[in-house]
Amino acid sequence: MNHALRRVSLVALAMFLLLLLNVNYVQAFEPSFLAGQRGNARVFAEQFQYQRGSIITADNKTMAESVHRQGIYSYQRVYPDPLVYAPVTGYDSIYSSTGIEETEDKYLAGTDPKLTVHNLIDLVTGKPKRGATVQLTINSVAQQAAYDALKATGLPSGVVAIQPSTGAILALASYPTFNPNKYATFDGTQLKNIDDRYRASPQQPLLNRAIDQTFPPGSTFKIVTSSTAFSNGGYNPDTRVYAPTNLKLPHTTNQLINFDNSPCNDGSNPTGNGKVPLIFAFTVSCNTVFGNLGMHLGDNPLRAQAGKFGMNNPNLNIPLPVAQSNYPPIPGNDPALTAYSAIGQYNDTVTPLQEAMFAAAIANNGNLMTPYLVQRVTAPDLTPLVTAQPASMGQAVTPQVAGEVARMMVSVVQSTDGTAHTVVTSGTSYTVAAKTGTAQNGIKNTQLDDAVFTCYAPVTNPQIAIGVIVKGGGLGADASAPVAVKIIQAYLSSLAKR
Amino acid sequence: MSAVATPGEPAGTGQLPAARHAAQERAAPMPRGRRQTELAMLVFAVGVVLLAYANAGLGLNGHIPSGLITYGIGFAVLVGIAHVAVRRLAPWADPLLLPLAALLNGLGLVMIYRLQESGRSGNPGNVISTMTASTATFQLVWSALGIAAFVGVLALIREPRVLQRYTYTLGAVGLALLALPAVLPSRFSEVPGTTAKIQVAVGGFSIQPEEFAKLALAVFFAGYLVAKRDVLALAGRRVLGIDLPRGRDLGPVLIAWGASLLVLVFEGDVGTSALFFGLFVVMLYIATQRTSWLLIGGILFVAGSLIAAKLFSHVGVRFTIWLHAFSGNNPYNISYQTVQGLYGLGYGGVLGTGLGHGQPYWTPLVQSDFIITAFGEELGLTGLMAILLIYGLIVQRGLRASMAVRDPFSKLLAGGLSFVIALQVFVIVGGVTRLIPLTGITTPFLSQGGSSLVASWMLIALLMRVSDTARRPAPQPIQEEGMTQVVRGG
Repeated sequence: MNHALRRVSLVALAMFLLLLLNVNYVQAFEPSFLAGQRGNARVFAEQFQYQRGSIITADNKTMAESVHRQGIYSYQRVYPDPLVYAPVTGYDSIYSSTGIEETEDKYLAGTDPKLTVHNLIDLVTGKPKRGATVQLTINSVAQQAAYDALKATGLPSGVVAIQPSTGAILALASYPTFNPNKYATFDGTQLKNIDDRYRASPQQPLLNRAIDQTFPPGSTFKIVTSSTAFSNGGYNPDTRVYAPTNLKLPHTTNQLINFDNSPCNDGSNPTGNGKVPLIFAFTVSCNTVFGNLGMHLGDNPLRAQAGKFGMNNPNLNIPLPVAQSNYPPIPGNDPALTAYSAIGQYNDTVTPLQEAMFAAAIANNGNLMTPYLVQRVTAPDLTPLVTAQPASMGQAVTPQVAGEVARMMVSVVQSTDGTAHTVVTSGTSYTVAAKTGTAQNGIKNTQLDDAVFTCYAPVTNPQIAIGVIVKGGGLGADASAPVAVKIIQAYLSSLAKR
Repeated sequence: MSAVATPGEPAGTGQLPAARHAAQERAAPMPRGRRQTELAMLVFAVGVVLLAYANAGLGLNGHIPSGLITYGIGFAVLVGIAHVAVRRLAPWADPLLLPLAALLNGLGLVMIYRLQESGRSGNPGNVISTMTASTATFQLVWSALGIAAFVGVLALIREPRVLQRYTYTLGAVGLALLALPAVLPSRFSEVPGTTAKIQVAVGGFSIQPEEFAKLALAVFFAGYLVAKRDVLALAGRRVLGIDLPRGRDLGPVLIAWGASLLVLVFEGDVGTSALFFGLFVVMLYIATQRTSWLLIGGILFVAGSLIAAKLFSHVGVRFTIWLHAFSGNNPYNISYQTVQGLYGLGYGGVLGTGLGHGQPYWTPLVQSDFIITAFGEELGLTGLMAILLIYGLIVQRGLRASMAVRDPFSKLLAGGLSFVIALQVFVIVGGVTRLIPLTGITTPFLSQGGSSLVASWMLIALLMRVSDTARRPAPQPIQEEGMTQVVRGG
């Protein structure tokens, strides 16, 4: 029987050899295939085994951080002030991320090649791997004021505040918004429920109205029309321009009228068929004057000027991608449509960020700075990895033209006739230059008007430029201007305290 | 023993008297029992287990487990009792079998402790819902019962041959144990969460009779085959160079085949079925030395599996999982457990994550059928190969005892028992590593569960008993009467 036993031994040996070969294959050759499989919970959970970097404001307030917890996932993402900062930070869920969490993920997660050496040192010294800290340009005072002011309107709205001299974004808020903490759950079912609920909500809380949605600019576009006139039309703020009560438009029975069908009369135009200085028309926001001016200037120069202010740019990233603000070509060069476009109607659309960029360019002597959010990225050992370098997008207008537009914007606030006079002077002691807009909306203006406002302050040494749009807010001065005024008051007084 | 001298054993004839005399002179010194070797190896095994236990605690929460001293002493005492029993009851037994079994048992305890602690008292990971906070303690109690059974077998069975008397009794007991879960209502016999009816559970306490049936049937096969082997080996026709048995001699094979298929069908337990049939065929082969039995057995098994796969969905799905583990939605559905086990192995890689640092809790039932993937994940390919080699060594020592023993019944029993360990390891480890279709059976000594552990200890006791018999020196002549030759047994 020993002969058979020897054979059986060989069979047993062969079985063990097969097992050994197979485990060698599975554990030495297959791991990368296995790690790449969707649904590999181990690899997935590993990313929550180390601390993701924090996102902090320019004044070192934490917007997002990972805190240690018990369980499979060692770190929980926490947003201490979720509603205020949601449009900036976005969320980081187990399946996807948005906002800065998405665009700066390689730093926050520590996967960027710049962090490889740091990670290697940590591995050797036995320190746990950590993500880099991302510091934004956001100022917590301005951001808080922005969110509170939008919330006070109770209407869908967005606001962006920029430092004119650098392009650094001081505040970027949207209302209604979402709670990113709810996305930080590790419970897949719970996550799906919350995501479904947000997506189905008619309030569209996930929509970032500051940069993702565009609205008609309304009369704020008169900044662009004026800039075009000053730059290539031989105009200045004191040029007297035709100011009819009703502007007859070519090839159509439609007539362009002023708000509430009022005349454009500074006292020198009693007939409603004479002329007024351009600065007066700007201050009280006469549609007929700028419609007529737009037809004279022509569609192409207007579009070129709009482009210099940053419109028609599909590739603006701050680094969050920004929806394109449009001044589209006018079919058949129809002068009537050009007239509407010149007052920010027809197909003109802008984001609140674009509104802020109008004011910022004027405030910075015509030099439009590229807006940006990320100030610096710091490795866990405090080595700086990235530091923002402010860059110009180009000269929107000459310094002289910027000065002329600025003079008109100051008049909007300081002249007793100005559309923003009451609301701004009663709300802040700082000097403000502004332009209001009331954008008609919907087919045959069936929807409530959108309130639009763009401004900068202080007038002599501009520190902040703001664009606000409140959907369905009515007059720009009524709904949007108070938002900007509150931000200016809060931010500039916090600067003064420092 | 057959009349023909078996190769490898000293033949009594054909040697010069002088040479024979010299051979006896060499054999004259008393063979050593090697109990000191066993003790040294046991100390080593207990040391490895205690280090692993401390390591698991450090990996989980940075602290050495508070029970290290108590559990360590408990385990060492258990192993010590087994060693003392061997010294008294089987002094000539193989010195490696006990340390190897103790090492596996201890490592299994450590892994069960580590899995039980996952997610509990602030440790990282998920709580494994199928384990309680006292699973490891229960397993330690089962280990004590296993070692008690080990000592009991050594004490009761002083000669392996005595078992031959109970051939048919044990055969009946084995079949009854095997059939018991099938005839019991599902609420007593079904393993929660599966469709396998393989246990007898009364009031939260469950045993798996098949584990003991395995031992009883191995004895039955050995006894039956020793009695019938000549007719099975010699009668028959030769077709195409293969000796085919007579039709009437096929009976026992067909009965064994039928019984294993019944287990498969009524208990939903493919693994056990394969194990029993494999055990029987291999023992038949050892008894008759006829390759045709292996061929016939192999063909019957493959045909039976294929037919079962077509007829019964729970068998067919095993093949689908094996061949298409990663296709389509399978990883989230039918092959979830298998791919989770493979992810664990891949996550461990060559060196492993270290005890307590992996994520074995993702794999369902990781503490029983899939415990080898937990070892692969935390100890890596390195540790997994070491564990496979430990099993290989046990099989090798068992087969060695089988070859050395003279009595054919003991020879057949030891050969069958050794092979069944190899087969069981092959079926379960091959199954979870996707070498062959997965069939759920326990991993000897490692898996959570008392029946398997106790039965494995009894199996080791039987192998050591055979080994003790084989290595025991021949009785010395009482009187020196010149050249009186001692007729050795066998």
